[in-house]
Amino acid sequence: MTLAEFFSCSLLAFGAPLAMFALTIANDPVRIIIMIAAAFAWLLSFLVSSLVWFTVVPLRSHLAFGMVFAVIIQEAFRYGTYRLLRKTEAGLKEISENHNLSSNKMEMAYVSGLGFGTMSGAFALVNVLADSVGPGTLGLYSGTEFFFVTSAAMTLCMILLNTFWSIIFFSGLDDKNYLKVTWVIGSHFLVSGLSLLNRNQWYAATILPSYLVLLATAVIAFRSAGGTTKGLMQTLAARS
Amino acid sequence: MNGAVGVVQMISNISDAAWLVNNATAGPYMAVVNTALFLDVIDLFMFMPNNVAGILVYQNGTARPKTFSQESTCPNEVSSDPVSQCPSSSGMSWNMGGTGLLRRNIPFPIFYLPQTRIEEIDKINNCFQRYNLDRANQNGKPLCSIQLKSRIVSLFRCFCLNTMHAHYPERYNLDRAYQNGRPLCSIQLKSFMFAAVNSEVCLRRSTTSALLTPTKVCDPLGDQNVYFSLFPRGKEILKNKPITLVTARIDTASLFDGLAPGAASSVVGMVTLLMSAVTLTKMMPVSDSHLYDSNVVWNLFNGETFDYIGSQRVAYEMKFGSWPSFAPLDSSDVKLHIELGQIGGSLNLYSENTSWPLYAYAADSYTPVTEFLNEMLMNAKQFNMTLLPVFTKNLPPSSLHSFRRILKNETENGELPEVLLVDYKDTFTNSYYESVFDDADNIGFVYRNISVGPDGQFVPTSDLLANGTMREWDVQVKISRLATALALTMYQRVAGKPYAADIAASAHLADEMLYCFLRSQACRLLLAADYATSAVEVPTASAPPLYVGVAALSNTPAIFAGHLLVLLAGTQLSLNKTACDSLDKPGFSYYWLRGWNHTGVCMQTTMNFTQAVSPAFLLQDYDMSSGMYSTWTESVWAAMWARVFVSGGGGGARVAACAGAAATLAAALLTYWLSKHADVLFKQPADSIVNDAASGRKNKFRRAARIGRVQRTALLKRANLKRY
Repeated sequence: MTLAEFFSCSLLAFGAPLAMFALTIANDPVRIIIMIAAAFAWLLSFLVSSLVWFTVVPLRSHLAFGMVFAVIIQEAFRYGTYRLLRKTEAGLKEISENHNLSSNKMEMAYVSGLGFGTMSGAFALVNVLADSVGPGTLGLYSGTEFFFVTSAAMTLCMILLNTFWSIIFFSGLDDKNYLKVTWVIGSHFLVSGLSLLNRNQWYAATILPSYLVLLATAVIAFRSAGGTTKGLMQTLAARS
Repeated sequence: MNGAVGVVQMISNISDAAWLVNNATAGPYMAVVNTALFLDVIDLFMFMPNNVAGILVYQNGTARPKTFSQESTCPNEVSSDPVSQCPSSSGMSWNMGGTGLLRRNIPFPIFYLPQTRIEEIDKINNCFQRYNLDRANQNGKPLCSIQLKSRIVSLFRCFCLNTMHAHYPERYNLDRAYQNGRPLCSIQLKSFMFAAVNSEVCLRRSTTSALLTPTKVCDPLGDQNVYFSLFPRGKEILKNKPITLVTARIDTASLFDGLAPGAASSVVGMVTLLMSAVTLTKMMPVSDSHLYDSNVVWNLFNGETFDYIGSQRVAYEMKFGSWPSFAPLDSSDVKLHIELGQIGGSLNLYSENTSWPLYAYAADSYTPVTEFLNEMLMNAKQFNMTLLPVFTKNLPPSSLHSFRRILKNETENGELPEVLLVDYKDTFTNSYYESVFDDADNIGFVYRNISVGPDGQFVPTSDLLANGTMREWDVQVKISRLATALALTMYQRVAGKPYAADIAASAHLADEMLYCFLRSQACRLLLAADYATSAVEVPTASAPPLYVGVAALSNTPAIFAGHLLVLLAGTQLSLNKTACDSLDKPGFSYYWLRGWNHTGVCMQTTMNFTQAVSPAFLLQDYDMSSGMYSTWTESVWAAMWARVFVSGGGGGARVAACAGAAATLAAALLTYWLSKHADVLFKQPADSIVNDAASGRKNKFRRAARIGRVQRTALLKRANLKRY
């Protein structure tokens, strides 16, 4: 039973990102490089966050403290990634096979966002997944067996959010639209804050608002990427 | 490697067990059963083990099951004299209540929890019955409630749960019909044995080494026999006198590791022998050895439980005239062999009663046998003990079988004068033969804790009876009287005349000895009998397990017995340690023991240890399947442990699987659709072309057509950048 849990949770958390990767990134080496670079940037941000957490001894046991710094540092590294990609754009274009890389500023944002998110998701869930293999699950004295599902769902949410956040963030910086940047940082704080409620097992109170934020962020990202309701209608109409 | 995992099922009657093997659906199960019920259900589980992951046996309260023995109904049947029959023609077996689990291949682990660990069972029972209620309490919210305060949460929970099953049951494990797919309290028992298969295979595997790393998967069982002679014997002492051999066994077994008390099975016999030997040495001091023409050899066999390892080795070596190695004796030297068999079983039946009926089994009525019986009968009578001779070829399980099988053709006329003293006829009086319940309580032993005099002076039995410290029917008194009767008989055999003085075995000594072997190794006797070392190591205050163990490691019981003989029956010499260690008189060994004053004493003794390892492991080309000698080996095993937890009902997994599949499919479709219609969907603003997701092979061709525009945009962008 527990092995099923392991595979199901892995599928839930990483299935969608894997599909996106396979369909949009896997066949372009340059995109893979960008994605890996972004993932590495997230790792660095995590290293810095953990150093901060490690240094401030008295606050180690306070999850909220570490979280605040982690969010700030992640956003800082997202900005760093933006600067880096904008600087290397021309160079990447040179080595790119199909030379259309530069056509899609937001594509690079999307790719780096996915890398950023996947790495954060991996770190969020790997420990939990390792425990889910068994033999037991939670609940001898307390705890619900939906802990793993919730964790996986939260991880998926964070991966997708990171993807969309990167798009909005990059577009916001491109357009000097700081409202977008504020939305990214604000919603990041909001969702991370909500996840603190998990320790009380108020899973619904975490997941439902998080996915609402995800939905809103997706819409903004769609718009930031140049998507319009008109275009959407056109496509739908063309299909039918 | 992960151990056995199963859903907890408390077995409270046989129908629970029947349900478990026949109708239960959420298996495999871990049956938690108390000792009283164990005998009734074990056969069912062994017969249909498919749904059984393991058994956790526990002892609840002081009430004991009627019988509890994991030995077979005919112990050591295959190593018995072929003439003997079990079950006998009348249908009686020696160990009627035996399940034989010790000798069967059990397809699942069985763990035992003694009364002292009953709180673990309470935890399991709690988990089994009420953890779900506890869970609701801990969450602080009634489930599926319509209270407005926590409505969202509750509704979500209800939704989640309702997708799995219609109700949120109060008790999962108890609700048998709906166990499937629910979180259930489970137990994991880990007891990993290395790939031993059987003795032949594992010994072969143990001799091979894979990639230069020696792999050991099993060790032969064995330990040490304890040898003690009344007068010194040896190669250097020319005239070896005829021998009366008196033997008993040391070891016992139980199904569970570290729990082999063996009070009635072996301790009473061993203690009687030790006390009798000590008493006889006092009646006939070593210094008088030149006065007598015969000798007595006392020997304690080890490993008897596992097809008579110790006695087979002795009989085997005696056959070649090489036992004991320091003073070999010929089988024809042994004029009489007396074995103290299982004599503790009826002690509890005759508690509060002075009588203790004993039986003397003998296969043949040879002269030495009848002589001994007459003398023993006389000596027993003065203590109001009865001894009933039983002449039959059908001897109870005892070391005599080894001698009869191995030495039958060695002596002149095939004569083996042998007597076996037991306390039962036809079937054991001990209903806990070789089990965890064969402890001090099984023989009704209550420790009196009387202080021992400064030089090891024990209070005589008569004084104890006179001042009311002990009563006629106490175990200690009975054992000391039997030991005295045996010592008197031996005296008569050696001296040729009845004993006239008043030396007798003390019930006080019996009290101390029984305490050492049945209650605590940290006892006065063993402290005094230990080697005198600078650092006093007090052993744990628990009974030493009498399981023989592997030959590679020497176990404590044989060493204890040997040292007790040295301390109590040895001759004390007033020498210091260096002088003591340098002594080397033929026929003796010297021990520097702590002594009663804990200052160190030099003891001269004839006590010695001999190997108790089956001859099967000595012979180069021994055929393991011949059944000639004991070939028991113990598999190497990893540390055992158990844990209790709740195993998920799979609800979480199912939700995750459904959601995961849906999310993945949705993401795939959406991504595909977006990338396919990227052109239309994402109207590029003048300064940027946005392509959320695109580069499928199909798109490439279209892309090629767009390249011109792309390059133009790139130029535009560069211009933009410059503008910034």
